[in-house]
Amino acid sequence: MSIITVRNLRKEFKVSKHHRGMMGTLRNLTTREFTLVKAVDNIDFTIARGELVGYLGPNGAGKSTTIKMLTGLLTPTGGEVMVNGRVPHQQRQLYVQRIGAVFGQRTTLWWDLPVIESLELLRHIYRIPPDRYRQNLHEFTSLLEMESFLNTPVRSLSLGQRMRADICAALLHDPDLLFLDEPTIGLDVVAKERIREFVRHINSARGVTILLTTHDMADVERLCSRVMIIDHGRLLYDGRLQTLQDRFGGKRELVVDFAEPYPEVTVPGATLTHYHDLRATYEFERQTISASELIGLLSTQYRIRDLSVREPDIEGTIRRIYQEGLLTGDA
Amino acid sequence: MRLFWEFTVRSFQRHLTYRAAAVAGLVTNFFFGILRVSVLLAILGEQESIEGYGRAELFTYMALTQAIITYLSLFGWYDLMNAVHSGEIATDLLKPMGFVSFWLARDVGRAAVALLLRGVVIMALYSLFFDMVHPTSVAQVTAVAVSLILALLISFGFRFLLNLSAFWSPNARGIGRFGFTISWFFSGFLMPLAFFPAWVQQIAHLTPFPYALNVIVEIYTGQLTGPALWQTLCIQLLWVLLLFTLAHVTLRTAVKRLVILGG
Repeated sequence: MSIITVRNLRKEFKVSKHHRGMMGTLRNLTTREFTLVKAVDNIDFTIARGELVGYLGPNGAGKSTTIKMLTGLLTPTGGEVMVNGRVPHQQRQLYVQRIGAVFGQRTTLWWDLPVIESLELLRHIYRIPPDRYRQNLHEFTSLLEMESFLNTPVRSLSLGQRMRADICAALLHDPDLLFLDEPTIGLDVVAKERIREFVRHINSARGVTILLTTHDMADVERLCSRVMIIDHGRLLYDGRLQTLQDRFGGKRELVVDFAEPYPEVTVPGATLTHYHDLRATYEFERQTISASELIGLLSTQYRIRDLSVREPDIEGTIRRIYQEGLLTGDA
Repeated sequence: MRLFWEFTVRSFQRHLTYRAAAVAGLVTNFFFGILRVSVLLAILGEQESIEGYGRAELFTYMALTQAIITYLSLFGWYDLMNAVHSGEIATDLLKPMGFVSFWLARDVGRAAVALLLRGVVIMALYSLFFDMVHPTSVAQVTAVAVSLILALLISFGFRFLLNLSAFWSPNARGIGRFGFTISWFFSGFLMPLAFFPAWVQQIAHLTPFPYALNVIVEIYTGQLTGPALWQTLCIQLLWVLLLFTLAHVTLRTAVKRLVILGG
């Protein structure tokens, strides 16, 4: 049962052309010329209830435009959006009752009110039954460790505290669907981890469907089994993160510590990149040789004290996909 | 309605906390009023009265208009405009609540504090130092109160509409300033409307501005009574209805524009 269905979704913006120089200024005054920018260009996807999907793409790729259309803040130029049984931009008031949204870059709380007051207001806005409100508030505040700053005005919170408060605020009304837009941006490692832990919990324990946009690959690795990648308004990839890694991941590395010095340590199928002081580093590709084969080969010839395999990081893979346009043309 | 109340109360509490600013504002307000009334007294000169305004009426006019500057946000109100320009508006639109009433609720809370901390105090202070005219009957006090409430709604409707221009222009503050300046002139804040030539008064009364300020003075000083008073209150109510309808319609257009063009 899908909660989000998107078909041939398009959004075009008119950007007025500006001519430069004296004559250009005059032309700007007299004529209005526009360039059509395709922010989202014919994308299709469905998301099932209970999924946690990562939505990735470089800046300006069309991520926020898609999210704005999914939340009803933008009307599509063409195509269909159906979320939670409604067309967001047509039935916004009804639709937003059942969704939650967290934007890392801005708060949905009231700047000058203490956190708890903002949450109280949300209780009235969403007409949350008092019992349900109390239960949720109790659970979220303890999981997110918010007790210490419930009475602090939002403007005096640290970024990490504000983010936790915002996430709590977005979930009090038991939404079916949660949009998380860069929820870990600017946070330290511990704060990031705490938020990931919580996101995973509400997805698995409460079955809230989550669409996560982020630039933090650790978020993706820890949380999303499925990712969608958008660039230049087109959906380039939709599938498992691991598949992407297998196809486009860089070389794996094997680091070997030998028990005694050997003059010559090359092995077929792998490239020796570094050899110094009993420690050798090999690069090898998944397609050519497996880690166990390589280790087998080495251990028959040399006495090995220790070894470790390093997987290529997702961050690098994604960067290569954006920069080298690896996916263009095969979406 | 419950939600409206919750917002009003919180806005009220929040504005109550700015005490230092309130005191500073009060002092400025007091002396600014003295400056204004000196000019009016100079115009009055040796005459008994001009167009029904003698010394006592002029002091009352000055005290009243000074007292409701903050209540009506006469010197400008750009909160909604700022929310549009900063993009905060998007998070408000993502909440299932009436947009106009949400802003009205907050403004009512703000205005209530302004009326208590500024309005009442200023009126009391001026009564202490100057001879003034005050309402003489319960009916008149009631009329003043009703008129004050309607005036706030008119002022809010006007300010809300003016702020909505932010949806169309990235630099709407200029439009805002222009609007507020016009409102000083036609509302009778610069000078009682009775001092202007008849044709200016006629034009002024085609706008909502006299009904947000000038009429309060006229009711308070007893210049408006009987059927004329009733008529004035009715016109105030009509302006409220008209401005709120306009606000809703314009807001719908503005949001449609936003969702089509992007923020």
